[in-house]
Amino acid sequence: MKIRYVSLAWLAISLAAVADDARLNFVSCPIVQDTPTVPCWLADYHGERYYLGIQTDVSAEFQPPYLGHQVLVEGVVTNRPRICGGIVLEPVKISVLPELDRSCNTRLPIDPRYTIDFNPRPPGPSLGRLAFADAQPPGPQPVKPPFVTKEFTVFFDFDQGITFRHPRDLMNIVHYAQETRAKNLTVTGYRGAMKLSDGTVLSESEAIAEKRARQLAELLAGAGVTAAMKTSWQAEPVPADGIDDWQSRSAKVVVTP
Amino acid sequence: MRPGRFPGTGRPGHRTILIGLVAGSCFLASGGDRPAMAQTAYNNALEEAPGSWWGPGAGRRLAAESEWPNAFGTLGIVNAAGPIDTRGHPFFEPLGTNGRACVTCHQPADGMSLSVETIQRRWRETNGTDPRFAAVDGKNCPHLPQGEPASHSLLLNRGLIRVFVPWPPRAADGKPIEPEFDLEVVRDPTGCNTHPEHGLHSANPMVSVYRRPRPAINLRYVASNRFGVSPFIGKNGLLASVDPDTKKPVNMNLMADAREPTLKTQMQSAASGHLEMPGTLSPQQIAQILGFELQLYAAQVSSHGAGRLDEAGGPPTLGPRALERGRDGVLGNNTTAYVFPMGEVWKDLPEGTGDTEAARNAFRESVARGHDAFFFRTFWIQDSMHINSVGLGNPIKRTCATCHGMHMLGMDTANGWMDLGTTNLPWAMEPPQDPWSTSKPELPLFRITCKANLPPHPFLGREIYTQDPGRALISGKCDDVGAIVLQQMRALAARAPYFSNGSAPTLREVVDFYDRRYNIQYTEQEKQDLINFLSVL
Ligand code: HEC
Ligand code: HEC
Repeated sequence: MKIRYVSLAWLAISLAAVADDARLNFVSCPIVQDTPTVPCWLADYHGERYYLGIQTDVSAEFQPPYLGHQVLVEGVVTNRPRICGGIVLEPVKISVLPELDRSCNTRLPIDPRYTIDFNPRPPGPSLGRLAFADAQPPGPQPVKPPFVTKEFTVFFDFDQGITFRHPRDLMNIVHYAQETRAKNLTVTGYRGAMKLSDGTVLSESEAIAEKRARQLAELLAGAGVTAAMKTSWQAEPVPADGIDDWQSRSAKVVVTP
Repeated sequence: MRPGRFPGTGRPGHRTILIGLVAGSCFLASGGDRPAMAQTAYNNALEEAPGSWWGPGAGRRLAAESEWPNAFGTLGIVNAAGPIDTRGHPFFEPLGTNGRACVTCHQPADGMSLSVETIQRRWRETNGTDPRFAAVDGKNCPHLPQGEPASHSLLLNRGLIRVFVPWPPRAADGKPIEPEFDLEVVRDPTGCNTHPEHGLHSANPMVSVYRRPRPAINLRYVASNRFGVSPFIGKNGLLASVDPDTKKPVNMNLMADAREPTLKTQMQSAASGHLEMPGTLSPQQIAQILGFELQLYAAQVSSHGAGRLDEAGGPPTLGPRALERGRDGVLGNNTTAYVFPMGEVWKDLPEGTGDTEAARNAFRESVARGHDAFFFRTFWIQDSMHINSVGLGNPIKRTCATCHGMHMLGMDTANGWMDLGTTNLPWAMEPPQDPWSTSKPELPLFRITCKANLPPHPFLGREIYTQDPGRALISGKCDDVGAIVLQQMRALAARAPYFSNGSAPTLREVVDFYDRRYNIQYTEQEKQDLINFLSVL
């Protein structure tokens, strides 16, 4: 089992090289499978069960979905040994759909057939470090002149704005803007869409691009960025082709010193 | 150990008794809204005598180390900076117009909180004239007849103070925040939320909720900015509150709803609100209160079951001196720092010679098992906003320490609010509504309707019923409804009832609440071990 932090650039290249028939994009109810250690997260699609990941901690690239909600899954089918009875999808990107669906409530008890033999973080207290502490991207670095215009991309969950996931992204932007005494900053919000394996296209809500742009600008200003800010948004969804469509749920921030 | 309902606080079905008791205990009821100043002098005279009750302006000395009896043993208080002469000290003197001091609601014997037992005793001793029962917030609502037990039932039965905040909420710069939801009053047993002068539709719209005084001890830890403090709130990525003096972000761990960014802003609000002090605290008063708060440590120091808790070589987390020595701002949900480091000394103890020692050793072993249940025993935590929503999934298989992670105190380390279900239905305690029930709801109930054009609350949907919207009263966010900032877990033995709304009269009920809420299925032994553990903190 390979669990490690993959930089977004690396991920984009690796996914592009994947044969299209190995990709699987679908919406379904997540399932939680208990084990003697941490729980496994699974999802069923077209009569087959897929393995998404395990519960670890906040440092993990894979963060489990919610019972009570459907989950949007974008993954690549592998032929590795099944985990918790599920075909392993990797890489896999998931996003919890915001509306409640109380029919998503399957919690399976411990089954002697399923154990997790990699254990970066037990279900109780940690051993004193985050499970993926080494794989965490570095925090803000000192910026040396000459100061150049820099672009930052912020990714979002489906139909969502800023969440607990974003402070690191925001801090990187605030840091760069402050270190370079940025004069101008533009934020462009995008509305994403996702092409599922059955051909359906799911678009985010119309207002989301504007919300992302405005919210980002407001938070950056609130955190002390003094650059003149311009916001814009693209209300038409980014075209979806079923390949790394999660990247369409984004906003772009350009910082000009 | 468990004070019953206070006579005369209006239990339907016992009307005859009620009238008798009200008549017997409220001869002072004048109908006035504010206790007369003269009563303060009377009360102060009464309090000259040392005892567990500490009256405002009593002028007593708070020794460097003192011990205060409670139902489980004694609480130890340490003034790290040495003994304090409280004469003229702003924490202990009545600074306002109603005769109260900070100490009125933050009593040494009660771990600088206030137990229901103390409140009831004080009512009996003063016939309800103590400034504690002042109309502003020591009564279910200021308009009710002063001095009648029924008017003060929430304070007398559950130890609750009225906390009123403007609606819609205002940002730090005073601008109104547009809430993400509509707030309606569904039930108003105190009459306050619908009152023309004090309510939601008054000229100065206010929401009244009812909360326990939080313990003003070990505040060096509570207010620590050393862990998890950033310009963005770790739980939702939004802007954190800042210290108005330094403009630096703060940990947002004060008060049930984190409305006060610092101890300094907190004390000013307390002085203007609870003490009805005109004007502001002087810089010297502020420095004195702050200095006092940051050097004060308290924890249980002896236990009827476990004996002395501060013996040399004993468990390193117990007793107030351990808190004085400990490091603040440390994440303890791990096996290096621990939340409550107990060591191994209370495990596998000898039988002991004689009954007393045997019983003591058995109790100590139970405490050690209770610690392990708190720290290692897993259960499914489901639908708890701000823990299930922060990257771990819903549900998560974790332990008590996942939420209570702060080393030595057991709060959350920063931005510590979560929805445990203490105030939100369906988990909040509500009396059964059936024709055979004689009890009636005592707390207000609000209906929250989250706006249709925004995402719903991820676990509760768009319509939520709550007794106290908690953090949402300040942030206006749908996701924050019923999220309450974790209190510290120290000095629990001295300050029942528990939870912000006083819904758990005993430690057993705290444990039973969790057992129901998360379907933990503790054994009776596990429950007793947990209770014993909590009782020595
Ligand atoms: C009428 C009772 C009352 C009086 C008098 C009072 N308090 Fe409190 N105190 C409370 C209540 C109730 C809370 C919790 C409010 C909440 O959670 O919204 C509280 C909370 C606090 C806290 C927060 C502790 C924490 O962990 O969050 C501090 C510190 C504090 N009070 C200090 C003071 C000081 C200083 C004074 C005097 C200037 C004072 N109090 C006067 C009732 C009182
Ligand atoms: C989902 C997070 C979560 C978990 C898990 C959790 N707690 Fe809590 N705990 C809270 C919150 C939030 C509060 C404050 C609630 C309130 O005041 O309404 C609290 C309050 C408490 C208090 C009350 C303190 C007081 O001063 O009134 C005690 C005691 C406590 N918890 C013990 C436990 C024990 C024992 C466990 C394990 C069985 C546990 N908690 C598990 C979140 C949690």
